[in-house]
Amino acid sequence: MKATVRKDIVKTDVLIIGGGIAGMQAAITAAEHGVDVIVAEKADTRRSGCGATGNDHFMCYIPEYHGEDFNEIIREVTETLVGPLQDMDLLRLMMKRSHELVLKWESYGIPMRPTGQWSFMGHAMPGRRRYHLKYDGKDQKPLLTKAALARGAKIMNKTVMRQLLTDDAGRVVGAIGINITNDVPEIVVFQTKAVIIATGNALRLYPGQNPAYSFNVANCPADTGSGQAMALRAGARLVNLDQPYVHSGPKYFARAGKATWIGVLTDFHGEPVGPFVTKPTKELGDVTADIWQNVFEEKMEDGSGPVYMNCSETSEDDMQYMMNAFLSEGDSSIVDYLDQYDINLRKEMVEFGTFEYNFTARGLDIGLDGGTTLPGLYAAGNATGNVRGDITSAAVFGHICAENASEYVKTQPDYDVTNHAEIAKEIELIDTILGRENGATWREANSMLQQIMREYVGMKLRSESLMKAGIKYIRDLRKYSLNQLKADNAHELMRTLEVLDLIDVGEAVALMSENRKESRGRCHRRSDYTFTNPLLNNKFQTIAKTKDGFQLEFRDKAR
Amino acid sequence: MPPVINQELCVKCGLCAQICPLDVIKVEQNVENEKNIVVKYPDECWHCRACAIDCPKQAIKLRYPLSHMMLHIEVNEQERGI
Ligand SMILES: Cc1cc2nc3c(=O)[nH]c(=O)nc-3n(C[C@H](O)[C@H](O)[C@H](O)COP(=O)(O)OP(=O)(O)OC[C@H]3O[C@@H](n4cnc5c(N)ncnc54)[C@H](O)[C@@H]3O)c2cc1C
Ligand code: SF4
Ligand code: SF4
Repeated sequence: MKATVRKDIVKTDVLIIGGGIAGMQAAITAAEHGVDVIVAEKADTRRSGCGATGNDHFMCYIPEYHGEDFNEIIREVTETLVGPLQDMDLLRLMMKRSHELVLKWESYGIPMRPTGQWSFMGHAMPGRRRYHLKYDGKDQKPLLTKAALARGAKIMNKTVMRQLLTDDAGRVVGAIGINITNDVPEIVVFQTKAVIIATGNALRLYPGQNPAYSFNVANCPADTGSGQAMALRAGARLVNLDQPYVHSGPKYFARAGKATWIGVLTDFHGEPVGPFVTKPTKELGDVTADIWQNVFEEKMEDGSGPVYMNCSETSEDDMQYMMNAFLSEGDSSIVDYLDQYDINLRKEMVEFGTFEYNFTARGLDIGLDGGTTLPGLYAAGNATGNVRGDITSAAVFGHICAENASEYVKTQPDYDVTNHAEIAKEIELIDTILGRENGATWREANSMLQQIMREYVGMKLRSESLMKAGIKYIRDLRKYSLNQLKADNAHELMRTLEVLDLIDVGEAVALMSENRKESRGRCHRRSDYTFTNPLLNNKFQTIAKTKDGFQLEFRDKAR
Repeated sequence: MPPVINQELCVKCGLCAQICPLDVIKVEQNVENEKNIVVKYPDECWHCRACAIDCPKQAIKLRYPLSHMMLHIEVNEQERGI
């Protein structure tokens, strides 16, 4: 099989890659600013990405509810969920503008006050302020899509983006994608003045709890680090890939949304494992695992596990509330499962565990305008690496990127990409993969990549020899993959390109981890540097690919 | 086979195939140009339930494979009989 190539180049002012939460917010805002905007989404924006069938907590600061003490909320935010990998200027900006975005979402028809009032629940410690607005996100994606279309944004679904095009000065001027609607893939070339990367997380790089089923992961397995990979290849700077993130929930039934559970984490005997709650309420679920993220593994390893989510003390009203919240949260499969298997949470505890290592907000290095280090390239949401706020960072920085990109494009001339050298190279790669009669499947390459990452750039223990070996193996895997991978249709081609992107991300993760000569936090423990270096406390590590190879640097957190 | 389509209820509108975030479901056409809705890549299902939620005929149910067992146990030790 050979791919077809669309005759006409698709031209726009702003191209948004990925139509998840960040991408759809960016589309709405760019369209409101009167520029031509296209969203290229590999699935369908109505149900794609981590927010596909819902989310229920929107971290925000609402002055009329929280009062004037903004710093108090910032302190709560940093001490609980979102962790230390924050540029505080970006975090403050995000929280400052969160209220504005909440009101915008309400205007798109998303129920931000399903009870009629601002209601803040969960993700909090007893006696402290709560800052997670409980909303009903089950239809957020169709509603964001509707709002974007109503304002004139164009959406190209089933379009897997693969490569950025830059001019000699490094400005982003276009991109290459593949339309997978039909069995025969169609290559589509875009010419644009600015690109906003909104492709989310990098799943399927590390194995999940259930390696044989690599799509049984808590975050959306269609988010495969392709924004990070294509930006890296184009020369943009990435940040914080050396410290992946882990989340937890029902052990082998991977669904994010831990804070929606109203229960106490208890041991086998029903005793609480954390100090925070004994009687759970909807206001305060058990925040233990937000703070003690290793709890499940530690207790398995020392034999005092397993750890369970125990909802037996939850009141009847709160139980109903939780079941409804699962539907808002995109976790209707939990409700469905409990129902199909006749599991009564009044009587039964569900074992919890740690999910796959992922790259929630590890990625592109952005500034206060959402811009990356390449002119014309912006990024928002989980594909960025120096601010974390989940739905909030996706929405706020999607909005900020679009505001600034819309101004930037007015200053830019058209750049004709017709004869861009990358286009022929990409067509050749794709036709080679499609043309192989015999060869390797994407699954083979993906599973080897996961093995290498787990063993050599692992999270339990890292060292120079392990990681240097790992880097060598990842590069071998890339070489063999390029020489052997085959795909028989557009769907398989998408999966194959995802793995090639993941290999690029994996290489960057390994290089950065090897270069961090200290131990830090839960996810970067080195046997050859067992201490934490205080000189690096206020620094982030970055990586960029230059013509002289990879450049790794430690820089101050504030840019 | 995570999503299971009740072919009697299904009106072959193709919505589930269009919106699935993982491209699990495909619309296939036979020589007579009849549409068939096929769960082509069951192992790639993420259990988001978008297909089941959006199907206008409620023709889709999810089957949860044994590999995804949600481990659970009675709260009281006495009742557990351990
Ligand atoms: C079940 C669940 C519950 C959650 N609950 C909450 C919550 O209550 N509160 C909260 O704050 N956060 C929650 N989160 C996290 C939240 O959903 C994410 O942080 C948020 O969706 C990130 O937005 P994003 O735009 O960066 O990525 P996503 O929303 O995942 O969007 C990325 C998009 O890019 C597309 N894409 C990827 N690669 C390509 C490519 N190469 N070409 C084209 N398109 C591509 C994907 O298909 C997807 O549509 C939850 C996550 C899950 C899974
Ligand atoms: S959405 Fe429902 S009715 Fe439409 S094709 Fe799918 S299963 Fe059939
Ligand atoms: S549950 Fe989600 S991933 Fe699975 S087939 Fe349905 S829409 Fe696709």
